[in-house]
Amino acid sequence: MQDEVTLLRASLQGETAAWGEIVTRYKDAVFGLCLGFLRNRADAEDITHDAFIRAYVNLRRYRLDKRFSTWVFTIAANLCRNRLRYRRTHPVFEVETDSGGGTDPAREVAREERHVHVREALERLPYAYRAPLVLRFYNDLAYREIGDILGIPEGTVKTRIHRGKAMLKEHLGEERDPS
Amino acid sequence: MNTDPLEALLREALRQEVSSLAGSLGGLEERIAEELADRAPRRGWIDGLKQLAAPTRAARLGQVAVVAATAAAFLIVGAIVGKDLPLVGSRPKAESREAMLRATAENELLFVLPALHAEDVSVVGSFNDWEPTPLSDEDGDGIWTARVTVPPGRYEYAFVIDGRWWGQDPLADEYVRSFGEYSSVRYVGGGGDGV
Repeated sequence: MQDEVTLLRASLQGETAAWGEIVTRYKDAVFGLCLGFLRNRADAEDITHDAFIRAYVNLRRYRLDKRFSTWVFTIAANLCRNRLRYRRTHPVFEVETDSGGGTDPAREVAREERHVHVREALERLPYAYRAPLVLRFYNDLAYREIGDILGIPEGTVKTRIHRGKAMLKEHLGEERDPS
Repeated sequence: MNTDPLEALLREALRQEVSSLAGSLGGLEERIAEELADRAPRRGWIDGLKQLAAPTRAARLGQVAVVAATAAAFLIVGAIVGKDLPLVGSRPKAESREAMLRATAENELLFVLPALHAEDVSVVGSFNDWEPTPLSDEDGDGIWTARVTVPPGRYEYAFVIDGRWWGQDPLADEYVRSFGEYSSVRYVGGGGDGV
C-alpha cells in the first residue's frame, strides 16, 4: 500500500487514480463529519463530493508537512458551515434516519433506539456545540486539531464539548421523561 | 480509554449511522475522477482560445491594458450617469458610510440598505447565528436600517430582501463567495473572528 505523501505527490502531478485512493481512505471520515454537522444525508453526500473536488483543485496550497486529515476536514467543515447558512433561507425537510431494519432481536432494537435518540439530541444542539462533539467523538480528533479545523481556541473547544455533552444529557433526559 | 457512557453512546451512534449510509458513497471515487477529467479539457480549451487571441505574453499584456482602460472608462461614465439612480443595493450616501464607520468603531454593526420597493428586509449573519434580524424603514424613504451591538470580531452576513438573498452590501469590508452566493464581511473593533 502506498504511503499518503506518495499518493499526494502523485495527485499533484495530475494522477487522478492516486487521488481516488486518497478519496477511498478518507471518504467515510469526511462523510461522517458532514453527516454529523449537517444532519442531512443528501447534503452530507454533496459536501463530501465537493470537499474532495475542492481539495484536489487546491492541492498545491496544501503543505506536506501538515496533517492531510486536518486540511481536508477543514475544507469539509467550511463547506458544511456554508451549506448550513444556505439552509437558513433555503430549508429542506430533514432526511430519514436509518432505523436499521425490523428483523433484529429485541436487544438490538433497543440499542438502535438509543442511537436514534442520541442522534436526534445531537441534531437539536446549536452548530457551535454539535461540530466539536462530532469531530471529537466521530473523527477522534485532539482538542487542538478540532480548534484548528473550526478556527477557535483549544480552550473554547473543551468548553463547548463539555457544555455540548451537558446539553445532550438534558435532551436525552427530556426524551426519556417528557412532561 | 473512554469511560463516559454518553461519549461511548455518541461514538457508537454516529459510527452506526455512517456505516448504514456509507453505501451511498459507492462510486464516489469514479464520480470525482470524471468531474476532474471534465474540468481539464475545459482549461485547455480556454488556454487555446487565449493563445489564438494573443499568441505571445506581450500581446496578452497589451490586451489586458486595453480591457482595463475600457473598464475604467465605463466606471467613470457609470459614476457620472448613475450617481442618483435609486437601485437596490446601490452605494448609500457618504453620511451613511461615515455613520457605519463610527458604529464599527463603537462595537456596533449599523446596516443601511437602500431597497425602494421592498416589503421585508432582514439581515442574517454570524453575529445572530444566521437568524433574521429585521431592518426597519419607518419614514418609508426606501432606506432600511438596523443596529446590532456586537463584540469585536469578523462578521459574515447577508441581507434577505423579500425572501431573496442579497449578499453584497456596498458598505462591506469584503465579500466571500460559496455555492454561487456572496456574503458580506465586516470587521468590528479591529478584527478578530466573530464567525
